[in-house]
Amino acid sequence: MIPPSPPPPVKRRIRLSDVFVLSGIAVLLAFALANIQANMAAAGVHPGFGFLTKEAGFDVSETLIPYSPGSSYIRVILAGLANTVFLAGVCIILATVIGVLMGLVSVGPSPAGRWLAVAYVELFRNLPKLLVLLVLFVAAVNGLPHVREAMSAGPFHLSNRSLNFPVPLWDGKGWILLLALAAGLILPRLIEAHLQKHWGRSTPMPLSVLIGCPIVCVLAASVLFQVPSGFSVPELKGFDFQGGARVSLQFCVIAVTLGIYHGAQIAEVVRGGLQSVPKGQSEAAQALGLTRSQTIRLIILPQVIRIIIPPMNNQYVNLIKNTSIAIAVGYSDLMSVSGTVINQSFKPLEMMLITMGLYLVLCMSVATALNTYQARLIGRETR
Amino acid sequence: MKLVLSSLVAAMTAAAASPALAGPVLDEIKEKDQLICLVNPNSPGFSVPDSNGVYQGFNTDFCRMAAAAILGDAGKADIRGIGFSDSMKTLVADGAHMASRSITATGTRDADAGMAFVATTFYDGQGFMIPKSIGVTSATQLEGATVCAEDGSTTLLNIADWFSDRTISYRVENIADKTARLEAFFNGKCDVYASDVTALLSDRLLSDTPEAYTILPEVISAEPLTLVTQPDQALEAAVFWAFQVMLNADVYGITSDNVDQIIADLGSYPKAVNRLFAEDSATAEMAEKLGLPQDWAYQVISQVGAYSEVFEKHLGKETAFGLELNETANALTADGGQMYAYPIR
Repeated sequence: MIPPSPPPPVKRRIRLSDVFVLSGIAVLLAFALANIQANMAAAGVHPGFGFLTKEAGFDVSETLIPYSPGSSYIRVILAGLANTVFLAGVCIILATVIGVLMGLVSVGPSPAGRWLAVAYVELFRNLPKLLVLLVLFVAAVNGLPHVREAMSAGPFHLSNRSLNFPVPLWDGKGWILLLALAAGLILPRLIEAHLQKHWGRSTPMPLSVLIGCPIVCVLAASVLFQVPSGFSVPELKGFDFQGGARVSLQFCVIAVTLGIYHGAQIAEVVRGGLQSVPKGQSEAAQALGLTRSQTIRLIILPQVIRIIIPPMNNQYVNLIKNTSIAIAVGYSDLMSVSGTVINQSFKPLEMMLITMGLYLVLCMSVATALNTYQARLIGRETR
Repeated sequence: MKLVLSSLVAAMTAAAASPALAGPVLDEIKEKDQLICLVNPNSPGFSVPDSNGVYQGFNTDFCRMAAAAILGDAGKADIRGIGFSDSMKTLVADGAHMASRSITATGTRDADAGMAFVATTFYDGQGFMIPKSIGVTSATQLEGATVCAEDGSTTLLNIADWFSDRTISYRVENIADKTARLEAFFNGKCDVYASDVTALLSDRLLSDTPEAYTILPEVISAEPLTLVTQPDQALEAAVFWAFQVMLNADVYGITSDNVDQIIADLGSYPKAVNRLFAEDSATAEMAEKLGLPQDWAYQVISQVGAYSEVFEKHLGKETAFGLELNETANALTADGGQMYAYPIR
């Protein structure tokens, strides 16, 4: 087969119409900025970011970084950002798992499964997500028991406030276990290399050794260095559980809401991807004598992934932005803290710019990462 | 969010359009023959839509007061329900003329160029509501408790101050959606609900069992709930003095029921009453200078009533709140409260 000839190189010539449009936009932007500035000055408003170092003075529902009301506005914004990133990360994983599973079911052999997948997709893509969130939140708050009557399974407790569970006490020595884990992962490879060098033949380690070695190493290090030194176990004291770790109910509810909401849309993306690979591809693979799993792994999946990355990118970016509905049920995300900061400092323009900038950076980094991955996939195939 | 953005855009265009004249907002109200006034969309007693979708309540009556004073017709108040933090943005962005929605006057808010705090209609304070079943009698026993409060409000700062001053540890649930917040409290997701005492009284009524909740004695903040207008000297003066007319009416025992009788026989009433309603009165002189209807003081009293009338109608003993005006800080100074009627002369 004659390979297709590459397209002719694009001529780098700037067109007059482009210049007009771009300079028109630039003039409009400059005019808007000058106008805002002039009118703010006339109204006695002096824009600036000096307020960021002032004391925030309010508390947030939960934080991943140390924060108290005495901390600065910068810190509370960072705490909100960390909450948003964490929530978005959990939601992306959840939505992807749900979406891929439902997508597979929707093209699968079982008619009941297909019917279920269609019902799920149609239900959740036709409901507003804020409504789903509020319904689930109210249902969870009503349905789950009060903290004093929490459902308990050993040291795990679930109430309408939170999920409380024990956590190991690291005493700052957690790195020892990480080191042991790394050693456990590398050791089998070293032995492999050693054997190859001295015996001159490749002897791949069995899977049991590859998995077992890190486990044994970590356990040995744990016993030897007494890491963790113990567990912090949640106990009901006074009004609430003390000790252990806590995941708030609102976090769970938002994660589930966005997980199933975007899961429905991802299921459609996956279904579209699967159905876009012509049947002839798998028939050809079978004709070549590939097994079913080889067909999926080597023929179907690479094509599907390449097709679904752009719409998945869109889903992930939408999901990140949609975490902002968390404000409705009291999860202190970026949007929530930004709103409170605006009300306290009354710097709406500055805070909105900061908030927009942070969401922009967050969404663009995810989009860029996925685009790079796709470019690499395409590059690998055309090589 | 859409509202915020559109109001920002509106702010930019409005700022470009209007030079700082005395009274441009008042002129705009008269030109459109309508006064846009923002209230809380769901606050029983203060502002809730009735069966016809018309907002009724204590706060809405001050919207009607302003419309009666400026346009001569309380019905020309275009009363719109809006959330707390959006209301201030809307006002700054020229999306409304005034707000009567229990906004606390604070120094930094007033210092902002886009809002004028005009007249305090209600002296409130922030308190704590608890289910009686948790058996707490003072907020100092709330060590380790979870507190529900509205996201973005000064409530969050007051709680943080109060608990940290007493080194009491607590957890906050800052929930923006009111339904979600109240469901969380009524179902025990939080132990305590913090808000202005009057809001607590009003929200308690939304529970299936209001009697199961009680309000702790600690009032931890001063909350002068104040009418806010767009900055405009003439509009501020009109709203401020319309409110003073309502207070003066209480001082002299004038109500919407007897005001016609009094005017028919003005000669036999004190000078101060004459200065309110006579044709060559102080209010008529003010009307000319501010550009109000000549009989604006009469319109306010006949269409809206005296301050105590409004209070009794929406929050008084006959209502579910059962508040006794003279037991609150909202009584006239003569009765031990903080409502001080300025002289109209």
